[in-house]
Amino acid sequence: MTSETDRRPAEERFRAVFSHLGAVTAYARRRGSHDADAIAAEAMSIAWRRLAEVPRDDPLPWLYATARNLLHAEWRAERRHAAAELPELSVPASELRGLDPQLDRALRSLGPADREALLLVAWEDLAPAQAARAVGIKPTAFRVRLLRARRRLRAALEEDRRPAPLVQIDVEGT
Amino acid sequence: MTDHTLNRLRTANPFPAGTAVDADALFDAIVVAPPDRRLARARRRSPRPVLVLAAAVLVFALLASGAYAISGWLGGSIGGPTVRAEYADAQKQLTMPPGYTWPALHWPANSVTSPGGGGAFAVSLDQDAWECYWVDSIHSGDVAAQQKAHAALDDLMQNHIVIAPAGAPENYAPPGATGTPLLAFADDGGYAYKERMYREAAAGRPQLLEESCRANGPASHG
Repeated sequence: MTSETDRRPAEERFRAVFSHLGAVTAYARRRGSHDADAIAAEAMSIAWRRLAEVPRDDPLPWLYATARNLLHAEWRAERRHAAAELPELSVPASELRGLDPQLDRALRSLGPADREALLLVAWEDLAPAQAARAVGIKPTAFRVRLLRARRRLRAALEEDRRPAPLVQIDVEGT
Repeated sequence: MTDHTLNRLRTANPFPAGTAVDADALFDAIVVAPPDRRLARARRRSPRPVLVLAAAVLVFALLASGAYAISGWLGGSIGGPTVRAEYADAQKQLTMPPGYTWPALHWPANSVTSPGGGGAFAVSLDQDAWECYWVDSIHSGDVAAQQKAHAALDDLMQNHIVIAPAGAPENYAPPGATGTPLLAFADDGGYAYKERMYREAAAGRPQLLEESCRANGPASHG
């Protein structure tokens, strides 16, 4: 049985974690969840049950990582895909909604790891060190990934702006 | 990414942060469940090292007493005369703080311990004495004495106290411990706790040191 002296400090600590509910909900929504509120609520419930694992100084990356796992589960259930076929770190590109078409195409052209790196920094407003914790890699590795993702996104946007090349049809024998 | 591209991506953020749910109700619903038990264990563990050390000494004494009957079969143990000889040798290598004297060793006639036990006993007593000397010097404002006590305890920690390997038996004796009195701490954080105690005392926070002196020091400090 849990005593009141055990519960009160735990609740105080959890309250700081719970203050990120809105950010986690937005994260789930931006990644295309059909029930972002439920994803965020479940992430918070897991945080309460495993509060000892949640970093006291900066819980947000831990919450995003948990929410991402829940998003993968949601996506699996909806698509009935095998786990092995899932993107590694981000929900499918097709779930990115509400973007201008050119940016949407450019983001979809990226790999899931590159896309997640960009979005954690640009949309979730995480510092690279925080984003590294959210995806479970070292900060140095994350910076390299982010740099690569930036270049690829820029290249994809530039490519999208170019007019489509004329198609030259080689006809055998001419 | 250039600022332009980054800004474009940021501007395209499709949803602001926020939630439509009743946050207070959700909070209350979540915390109805029991909290993570590991939090309570972590809180309860923090003040324990001194108690664990005292309990370990008590258990050690009981086991040593009970083991006397079979000690002759197993070997590797020493009785009163050897323990007293080790204790006397250790006093030549260790220094008691000013005003402190080595207490007489009353070793029960039917008790045994591991080789080196007499030296370990001396190191433990010496450490307790220097801790209390430090406490006294803090209370009297004698800075030189405080520094002397800190240096003596650092020397004990570095040269006469070791951490037993994880899983070592209760009668663990440091290998090659011939001549130098050594005290083995169990691998349970007790050593680090002492280090922290001395660090805090040197920084003007002697509460842990005072607690240790009250618990382990000579009777006059109890």
